[in-house]
Amino acid sequence: MKKIVGVAALSFALILGACSSDNAGEKDDSDFPKKNLEFIAPATPGGGWDATARAIQKILKEEDIVDQSMTVINKPGGNGEVGWQYLSKKDAHTMAIDSSLLITNNLLGQSDLTYEEFTPLATLTTEWISVAVKNGSPYETATDLMEQLKKDPASIKIGIAPGLGNNDHLSFVKAAKTFGVDVTKLNFLVYESGGDVMTSLLGGHVDVATMAVSESSEQHLAGKFKIVAISADERLEELPDVPTWKEEGVDMVFPHWRGILGPPDMTEDEIAYWNEAFGEMVETDSWKELLENNGWEDFYQDSTETTEFLKEQKEMYTELIDESGLQK
Amino acid sequence: MGIDVQAILDGFLTTIQPMNLFWIALGGFLGTVVGMLPGLGPATAIALLIPITFGMEPTSALILMAAIYYGAMYGGSRSSILLNTPGDGSAIAATFDGYPMAQKGQAGQALAISAIASLIGGLIAVVGFIVLAKPLASFALRFGPAEYFLLMVFTLSAIVALAKGQMVKGFISMCIGLMISTVGIDLQTGVYRFTMGNVHLSEGIDFLVVIIGIYAVGEVLYNFLSINKPVGEKKSVGKIWITKEQWKRSKWPIIRNGPIGFLIGVLPGAGGAIASMLSYSLEKQVSKHPEEFGEGAIEGLAAPESSNNAAAVGAFIPMLAMGIPGSGTTAVILGAIVMLGLKPGPLLFENNPDMVWTFINSMFIGNLFLVILNIALVGILVKILDTPPRVLYPVIMMLAFIGTYTLGYSTVDFLILIIFGFVGLFMKMLNFPVAPLILAVIVGSDMEQNFRMSLISYPNAIGILTASPITIALVIMTIVSLGLPFLSSWLKKRKAQKNNSEAM
Amino acid sequence: MVRYITPILATVVGIIMLISAINLPKSNLGNPNGPMYFPLLIASILIISGIVYFYQEFKARGNDFADFRALRIGKSPLYLLVSLILMLIYTVLFERIGFLYSTILFLAGLLFLLNGRKKWMSNIIIAVVFSFVTWYAFGTLLQVSLP
Repeated sequence: MKKIVGVAALSFALILGACSSDNAGEKDDSDFPKKNLEFIAPATPGGGWDATARAIQKILKEEDIVDQSMTVINKPGGNGEVGWQYLSKKDAHTMAIDSSLLITNNLLGQSDLTYEEFTPLATLTTEWISVAVKNGSPYETATDLMEQLKKDPASIKIGIAPGLGNNDHLSFVKAAKTFGVDVTKLNFLVYESGGDVMTSLLGGHVDVATMAVSESSEQHLAGKFKIVAISADERLEELPDVPTWKEEGVDMVFPHWRGILGPPDMTEDEIAYWNEAFGEMVETDSWKELLENNGWEDFYQDSTETTEFLKEQKEMYTELIDESGLQK
Repeated sequence: MGIDVQAILDGFLTTIQPMNLFWIALGGFLGTVVGMLPGLGPATAIALLIPITFGMEPTSALILMAAIYYGAMYGGSRSSILLNTPGDGSAIAATFDGYPMAQKGQAGQALAISAIASLIGGLIAVVGFIVLAKPLASFALRFGPAEYFLLMVFTLSAIVALAKGQMVKGFISMCIGLMISTVGIDLQTGVYRFTMGNVHLSEGIDFLVVIIGIYAVGEVLYNFLSINKPVGEKKSVGKIWITKEQWKRSKWPIIRNGPIGFLIGVLPGAGGAIASMLSYSLEKQVSKHPEEFGEGAIEGLAAPESSNNAAAVGAFIPMLAMGIPGSGTTAVILGAIVMLGLKPGPLLFENNPDMVWTFINSMFIGNLFLVILNIALVGILVKILDTPPRVLYPVIMMLAFIGTYTLGYSTVDFLILIIFGFVGLFMKMLNFPVAPLILAVIVGSDMEQNFRMSLISYPNAIGILTASPITIALVIMTIVSLGLPFLSSWLKKRKAQKNNSEAM
Repeated sequence: MVRYITPILATVVGIIMLISAINLPKSNLGNPNGPMYFPLLIASILIISGIVYFYQEFKARGNDFADFRALRIGKSPLYLLVSLILMLIYTVLFERIGFLYSTILFLAGLLFLLNGRKKWMSNIIIAVVFSFVTWYAFGTLLQVSLP
């Protein structure tokens, strides 16, 4: 008898537990999500996007924010194109990591996809982009550098990676353009990876390099080269001595953001579900730790804000790419 | 920088904690298994196994990843020797003489010497690491675009020159490889080249697909030609341990090529493929029996194996001393340790000396463990050779396709794989050397990019060639490596003529 | 005559590459001709090598040329052709019907080709078992996303 009571109590507890966790997940009593979720990392395992996707999956699971099981799948290729192409044909149980590449791929003629076809679900993080000069450089500040480029745009070798049209490249183009430099004559040396750019700046094979702050800050702190400007709206805690572009008289803020993209035609309930889930996720300690470890800044915006943000971004990139001289 | 003996000792003590020993063993084993599959080299092995490290203590995670790295290197040469299907670029040189040795019935000995050579090469490099890490890291910085470009020219010419008397075939093979590497978006200008409108091709052709195609698929297809020939007596696997004579022959090549591989490994971007191929060509040039190379000369296997393992250790120097990932594999590791909350960079040695030294000590132990593991596995591994080829070949084919799929998650790569399978088949039939093509595919796009950047940095070709003492040395080495075969054959001819005239 | 196929092929490929390199789009940034330099260099080396190779074969025309002979022996052409077809079918089916089924078919096809029809039992067992093992190892243990 005791046994039966025990079993009954146990199953009751289990049912209760299951119900309560259901409630935690779906506060607005729709029945979404119904099945396993697919989370697309449009990159190979081991890269930044893959790592982000897997970390998000882990947090959503461990903090009991999403109950359905979630698998990260890798769809690398075409700067994200392959993954987003795949997403465009799926239903609401799929989502993918995205970034400004979604916009620039299209503007550069590398893709027919536009963000308008999809359902932007959230913007999550941003990194700021730094411009650094080698030690012993004649240019002490970003203003010095820009003055020289204004006089002779081809006189300075600028290291970037991993390709033209990415944010490291375009943020520099934007700063230079805002300053009045003829940006089509700039001399970019394109390296395969951020590591290569750093090596060449340390070895003095380029004069200037642009990199994510998370890549360059350690070298700056060690005095191996000097960061002269960052693309953030205000100075960063870990780099109190580095001015922003605004302080250098260049009116520009340039985020390198990452977000989450849903497939076309999601219902309001489904969007609301994710607004809630991501809103909850960005408040967790493990999310904050993830940002901290990677040197990312919190940049959370919900679905509506993200849609608006993407529109602004598209206008900005359209203008920028038109003037950069890049081929389409 | 003095060498901090206390820190090294502390690191050693941390390493031999049972938990860390366990990670070394686990990583070494998993790495070996994954590394044996065609197309799955160290970088993929680590990337795939990264989720295991989530939530681990950073030091242990780093130890585990390094162990996977070495394990995959060992595993890669296992399949090179037994099946002629290298797992990645740095295992290719092991096929040149390793596979012929296995064919001659010396599989056991080939596996043994490759493990021993890897161990010694690795140990030499670890010692080099402890003594030279910081000065070498700053030396590597002196390699700019011109230096890299000429280093690659030199390596290619050394490989082309290996095809004695058939250098022209070597050149053709190299050109095909370089052509493949030009497919995709031109890095420097963003112009599309030879992509035929295919999105997948715009990123270029993955060299690993070419390697798997030519080696794994090509090898299987080539064997179809002779599959119905009566099999002679059953291939013996030979002794498991090497003979004294074999040790005598490989001793010096192993010791010589450890430091060479180490130095090349330190250069960001150069890596194990260049190191092992240079070592192989060097050994062939200095050997007293160059004619045995490619027919199963044990030193032709020992040299590159020592070299590529040393390069693997060397590649950690830029990463740990400066925070620069020097190879695809170290880039993956770097990404993973960032996720763990460490800040790699020039300050890592100062801020986390305990972790760095624990890691370096784990390389010692890891190498020892892998040799034991691999020698223990020899008996099982050679069983693969006992499998009837009619069953073995289909399985290799399947693994080749799956390995390819994991590289790009696209079946477009399957078509490329099939094409290069047939290219490999015809090259084998026509006696074309495969190595120049493979090396060219691996280094091609880097080589071009460095060439283009040199054109920006220096006014003209002469400027590039004489940019620094390093470039001048590389130019001279290139000329010598291409000229040497001609010179030696000319000398031989002269000698023969002289003998003839004396005889008359 | 067969001996001249490869040298001529190499030269022709070189010439095609030369022409397509010259016709590459110009760059708006930096040196407009930048994208063509390296391909031009490769094409030139290839053409020169092709011509030298042709000359070498011409000089050796008296010798026996056996390189292609293997293609005409016994069943080897059949094996090559059938495995090519199998590989192409595999490529088409892989993402359509999923990893597991396509791989079983592919493996079984190759095994029937090489191992013969008589051992059909072991062929099928090997095909199914190996496909399952790899599917499990890659999909579950290594977390590779397979179709």
